[in-house]
Amino acid sequence: MSTIVITGTRKGIGKALAEYYLNAGWQVAGCSRGEASLTHTHYTHFALDVSDEDAVVAMARSIKKQFGGVDALLNNAGIASMNHALLTPASTVNRILQTNVVGTFLFCREMAKLMRKSDSARIVNFTTVAHPLNLEGEAIYAASKAAVESLTRILARELGELRITVNAVGPTPIETDLIRGVPKAKMDALLARQAIRRMGEVRDVINAVDFYLRPESDFITGQVLYLGGVT
Amino acid sequence: MPNRAQIEALVIESVQLLAEDFEIKALGTLDAGTCLYGADAPLDSMALVNLIADIEDAVSEQFDASITLADEKAMSAKNSPFRSIDSLTEAIADRIEA
Repeated sequence: MSTIVITGTRKGIGKALAEYYLNAGWQVAGCSRGEASLTHTHYTHFALDVSDEDAVVAMARSIKKQFGGVDALLNNAGIASMNHALLTPASTVNRILQTNVVGTFLFCREMAKLMRKSDSARIVNFTTVAHPLNLEGEAIYAASKAAVESLTRILARELGELRITVNAVGPTPIETDLIRGVPKAKMDALLARQAIRRMGEVRDVINAVDFYLRPESDFITGQVLYLGGVT
Repeated sequence: MPNRAQIEALVIESVQLLAEDFEIKALGTLDAGTCLYGADAPLDSMALVNLIADIEDAVSEQFDASITLADEKAMSAKNSPFRSIDSLTEAIADRIEA
């Protein structure tokens, strides 16, 4: 049974991804700051902050003991805070960078160590269309995801020798808690900038992740795939 | 706290496993003086990265200690702690004690 690690599985896209891969026959190791919101024979939950280095290392060691290794990692956990730059406190900047950048890096580092015995391991990071669209009000969120994209491209090169591919998917807005506070007018203006003008759905993300995870995708790495026709 | 002989045994075992994985014939017989990394040494940079990750993991499992070998001290050291089994043993002992 293949093992997939998914961060941020308590709700939203992360929970849907966990349910999807459990149904597809994977062993899923998930995490969130709180307790698990799903139960399944093949689901193991770790309550942690993704930017807590010691906790991530401990999770990796536990996964190694329980499952031997890891075949795929989906770095889904992320936070946003829509605000004008003039009104954004440093504490918010630090919080977003810690979760989105440090958390993504720590999981890449620790899970890649556990992927070294796998013949075709996969890492999928999560970015956003807010970065290529230079979305006003999302300066720090978009900047954090720009860092994730850079991390993705460089890790693709560093981990290529270990047969680990590293790619990213950049969803458009999807009806989740992440965009709950965004005004409708803002959302409509954002959708107008997409080639395909509709809200994203979880199935769109699953489709892109599935593409990266396919065995046939072992020659695809360092790529960022934006949904909705955003370039 | 492990003694130096125990740490050296862990290093030798890790190097042996790595030599098998990477098919490094130059790492046949191992002892404290065996050169690992540097000019004309058998490990390339990727093999060294793998060895360090393996050793950190083994130290955690066998000695219940969490160490970082490729830290700022190692990067700025005049003599690399990764050049031989002996220097690597010393670097591990230093970090477990710290």
